[in-house]
Amino acid sequence: MNNMWTVIRFTFMNKVRTKSFVVSTLIFALLITIGINIPFLIQLFSGDSNDADGGPVRIGLVYGEQTEIAEELNSTLGNITPDYELVKYEALDENALNQDVAEGVIDGYLRFEAQEGSSFPAVIYSSEEEYIEPQLQAALQAALQGPKTRSVVNDLTLTDEQINEINTPVQISTNSVADQTDGGSEADGLMKAADEPINFIIVYALVILFFVTLMSTGNMIASEVTTEKSSRIMEILITSVSPLSQMFGKVIGMFLLGLTQIASFVIVAVINLMLPHNVDTMAKLDLDFSAVDPMLLIFGLLFYIFGYFLYAVLFAAVGSIVSRTEDLGQAIMPITMLSLAAFYIAIFSLGAPNSTLMKVSSFIPFFSPTSVIVRMGLGNAPMWEILVSLGILLVAILVFGWLSAKIYRTGVLMYGKRPSFKELRKAMKAYKI
Amino acid sequence: MQRLQLEDVVKIYADKTAVNQISLGVDEGEIYGLLGANGAGKTTTMRMVLGLIYPDEGKIIYNGKPYSKELRQIMGYLPEERGLYPKVKVSDQISYLAQLRGMSAKDADKSLRYWLERFEVPEYYNKKIEELSKGNQQKMGFIAAVVHRPQILILDEAFSGLDPVNVELLKSTVKELRDSGTSILFSTHRMEHVEELCKNITILHRSNTVVQGSLKEIKSRYPREDVTLGTSGEVNGLEQIAGVSKVDRLEDGYLIRIEAASAAQQILQLAMAQSTVHRFEVKEPTLNQIFIKAVGESNE
Repeated sequence: MNNMWTVIRFTFMNKVRTKSFVVSTLIFALLITIGINIPFLIQLFSGDSNDADGGPVRIGLVYGEQTEIAEELNSTLGNITPDYELVKYEALDENALNQDVAEGVIDGYLRFEAQEGSSFPAVIYSSEEEYIEPQLQAALQAALQGPKTRSVVNDLTLTDEQINEINTPVQISTNSVADQTDGGSEADGLMKAADEPINFIIVYALVILFFVTLMSTGNMIASEVTTEKSSRIMEILITSVSPLSQMFGKVIGMFLLGLTQIASFVIVAVINLMLPHNVDTMAKLDLDFSAVDPMLLIFGLLFYIFGYFLYAVLFAAVGSIVSRTEDLGQAIMPITMLSLAAFYIAIFSLGAPNSTLMKVSSFIPFFSPTSVIVRMGLGNAPMWEILVSLGILLVAILVFGWLSAKIYRTGVLMYGKRPSFKELRKAMKAYKI
Repeated sequence: MQRLQLEDVVKIYADKTAVNQISLGVDEGEIYGLLGANGAGKTTTMRMVLGLIYPDEGKIIYNGKPYSKELRQIMGYLPEERGLYPKVKVSDQISYLAQLRGMSAKDADKSLRYWLERFEVPEYYNKKIEELSKGNQQKMGFIAAVVHRPQILILDEAFSGLDPVNVELLKSTVKELRDSGTSILFSTHRMEHVEELCKNITILHRSNTVVQGSLKEIKSRYPREDVTLGTSGEVNGLEQIAGVSKVDRLEDGYLIRIEAASAAQQILQLAMAQSTVHRFEVKEPTLNQIFIKAVGESNE
């Protein structure tokens, strides 16, 4: 046990000081900083041409012959979004309007043109670029829906309430079967949060973090073991400390390294999110961090830890059977594939978290760390399924940990070409391991 | 009670016997020589002593007890293909290895400084292994093996690849360790080192023990076969003496191979009758010859 701590400390201290670790952590932290600031930057750049004063974007509105529609638009647009302000122009005077656009008095202008065969006029937006911002388009469409319906049904006798009802989109509410049958209050707790967009981001971040840190530290474990073997220090090491403490010391050391990396990412992210300009932006984007389900984070961490260990022991085992660093890439390919599969299954299922694929893969130890997170954060995963999945994962760690320790114990003594499974088994028998 | 005892140890790998019934014992303060050609079973024997692999038959006894984990702290090992972390500072990795063997960080550092001083290279403390020359890397490997002051030290080809000055330095260190009570199991191909250092030896050949015993006793077991004769003039009729098998003419005399000890005296008498003898020696066989003979015989 004492020895294991020595191994953990040595592994950690050695790696944390390496240039490659420091540089890669810094680069990733920089990417996170940029990523978090992107919404603000986009706003800054897209906003600066027309609302330098910070006020709403000014849009010209030519009343012309459609005063009724224009009046109505003027009154409803304000309810939908405060970002746009309509400036009234009585008649269509293109020269004057174009000049105002050029001078920046208005960003663009709207006019209505009567259409043959339609009771509602065509809406035309003119601006410097032949382009309408998606937000503006959506706001205008919403605001004009009412007037349009009214003009179409004008001949029929409908009350305003009826028209309003026509305009309201169909509401679909969700309901979990599990809620009613076994009253799973935990599942309920998980469910409520699932609607929040912030959960999507958290799940996405967890899956990516899992993959990135697993890949980098996993590769480090394998190459560390191979280096020890090829530099022959292994023979001294295995005579000083049991292979088991050596292997798990290394795995834990690297795990702490990964955690350090994640912690620094989280700190960078939090600091960035706390900056005043970002707080505003996040609020505008409707991201509320208090809506994050703490259970999601707790289980996220649990699955991260267990998933990490499952892969890490395999990386160590593979590292131990390779004698030369050059052969390592090829040897760890299967594990890389496995982790890639886990990653993509989760990423592609973000939109369909309750699919059969997700349900099945959350019971497969190699895939469960990512898929359970997705199901918890975005879908509905009953608590018992999560716990069963966690249990399976634990059993898998024990089985593969035991197997890896055996392979490790044997592998570190075998030099020369990479042994086949048969040779490995023979050697295990011969060494009486 | 011997510090290290092997009793009829057998190791069989899937299809071949790697070590066949080796028995040996190393006392406190003794250097035991383990000789043999490549693939004779030396490294397997050492690995079994170190507890890396378990014998299929027989037993290995340390201080009267079988192998246990605690022994790791009193054993030191310098593997044949030695290595340390290339990119880690000498101080970091040797103190790491010493701590794995149960030393405190402080004692480890003190011991490391002592050994660097002993090898006259204190400036390597902060160097990385890859910055050192091969010979110096080997010294660091040796320090790594002895830094925790082991009772049982296993040296696999400790002197190979070193220049004569460093061989002497290391040899005197090994003797020092022996005199302070360390039991050393020592393997080499270089017979002159064995003759200088070891009290008892075992020669392994193809997994079998072919020669074993104290160096003196082994040498006396092999007949003295070479006679060097230095004369001022020519000596005729050496070939006719009964028991002489071969005569080589040298620059200043003869090298004569004899089969019977009695022949030596006759050679001397013959030589004295014909010329002035200024040198006459009946040489005891060198270990080299014994080795070649032993290994050669069992080859046939």
